[in-house]
Amino acid sequence: MIETARQYMLPLLFALLLHALAVTALRVGWQPDSTKVREIKPQIVMSKLIVMEPKPAPKARPKPAAPKPAASRPAPAKPKPVPEPKPKPVEAKPDPRAEEAARLAAQQERDREAAERAASLAALSNRAFEDALISEDQELAANAGEADNAAAQTYRAGIYQRIVDNWSRPPSARNGMEVELQVELVPTGDVVAVTVLRGSGNLAFDQSAESAVRKARRFEVPKESRLFEQRFRRFILLFRPEDLLR
Amino acid sequence: MPEQLSVFELVANASLLVQLVMASLLLASVFSWVMIFQRWFYLRRVQNSVDEFEEYFWSGIDLRAFYTELEGHDELTGIEGMFVAGFKEYTRLSEQSGAEPESIMQGVQRVMRVALNREEEKLEKHLAFLATVGSTSPYVGLFGTVWGIMNSFRSLANMSQATLASVAPGISEALVATAMGLFAAIPAVIGYNRFSARVEVLMKRYDAFCDEFSSVLHRAAHAKR
Repeated sequence: MIETARQYMLPLLFALLLHALAVTALRVGWQPDSTKVREIKPQIVMSKLIVMEPKPAPKARPKPAAPKPAASRPAPAKPKPVPEPKPKPVEAKPDPRAEEAARLAAQQERDREAAERAASLAALSNRAFEDALISEDQELAANAGEADNAAAQTYRAGIYQRIVDNWSRPPSARNGMEVELQVELVPTGDVVAVTVLRGSGNLAFDQSAESAVRKARRFEVPKESRLFEQRFRRFILLFRPEDLLR
Repeated sequence: MPEQLSVFELVANASLLVQLVMASLLLASVFSWVMIFQRWFYLRRVQNSVDEFEEYFWSGIDLRAFYTELEGHDELTGIEGMFVAGFKEYTRLSEQSGAEPESIMQGVQRVMRVALNREEEKLEKHLAFLATVGSTSPYVGLFGTVWGIMNSFRSLANMSQATLASVAPGISEALVATAMGLFAAIPAVIGYNRFSARVEVLMKRYDAFCDEFSSVLHRAAHAKR
């Protein structure tokens, strides 16, 4: 009994040691694999829609208000030249020289006024445009809180994932190809329009991306209409799959 | 991104039957390694003692002195045991008066054959276990795998949206069973083949020694007469 125990003690020890070694090797060796897994991040570029509509409104208001000295003068001056030449020919018909001089003077005055008006208008519209831009930026910065960003990011990731799921890779697709698509949605999330803004140069790839969006048909979009209008009504999407064969 | 699954989590999450299969395979692996080491040490020791013995035996020493020296030992390795048994039988039979040399030789050969058989049994101990582990553990592992995959596909059928991520853990977990089966089987098969070849070589040497020793005794029996 003791004999057999002695006979098997050492082999048992060795066997257990070997298995312990295998288990630790497995435990340690399993880790490096995980770091090699490449995470595929959705590449989406959001378009900032600069709405041009609010601009005419501010433009119209500052026109009489701010540059009054420039703008108020031409305004009353404008009707003047119109009635001026009119009554003249009626009154002084028999005097062609005077008529001509008056017409010339009127013409000159009109030209000058027009130039003045154009300059002031240009200055005005520039300023108005800049104002509008600044105000819009401020508005955007104020509105787009962190929460919005995070929410939009998750929706964007979902949309991208759906497109990738519906995408069938054409054989000519290579890593690094990217195509910029403009996608238009309605509030239910249905796709109403897809257009290729900037192609990759490979027609098959562009078309495959476009048809992937069409095939997806409907995306998950935020229910909150403000967020939807701001970011999902019409957006630009950079489709760049990175898990392609080289 | 979820954490990477480790093998141990997979094993812990496996179904009961698969876990049982895994446990039995682990046990089989441990035992087969115990046997492998044990056989390894044992056969090496036997081989050394046979080498030593043959060298000593053929060095031209007095067999009777050698016999008395060996008889005092408790632990006799195979070939020594055969020699002692054969010589003891020879002296016992030749001391009896009127024993025919042929009958003496028959008795000696019978005793030595018995010793040889016992020795073969000792050498081949556990080899059957290694053979069993080597041939069955892949199937046992495969059984666990098939069962696990079956279950994971069945649960997949109940899902509305099937993704790769929902089946992959189940299949991976099931495949661990096959991996373990192979882990147990490969060393067992290698060990079995290696050790059975060594046993065969040793048995041939024993046989040769038996013949040689009985011819020596045969000569002695006839010379006595």
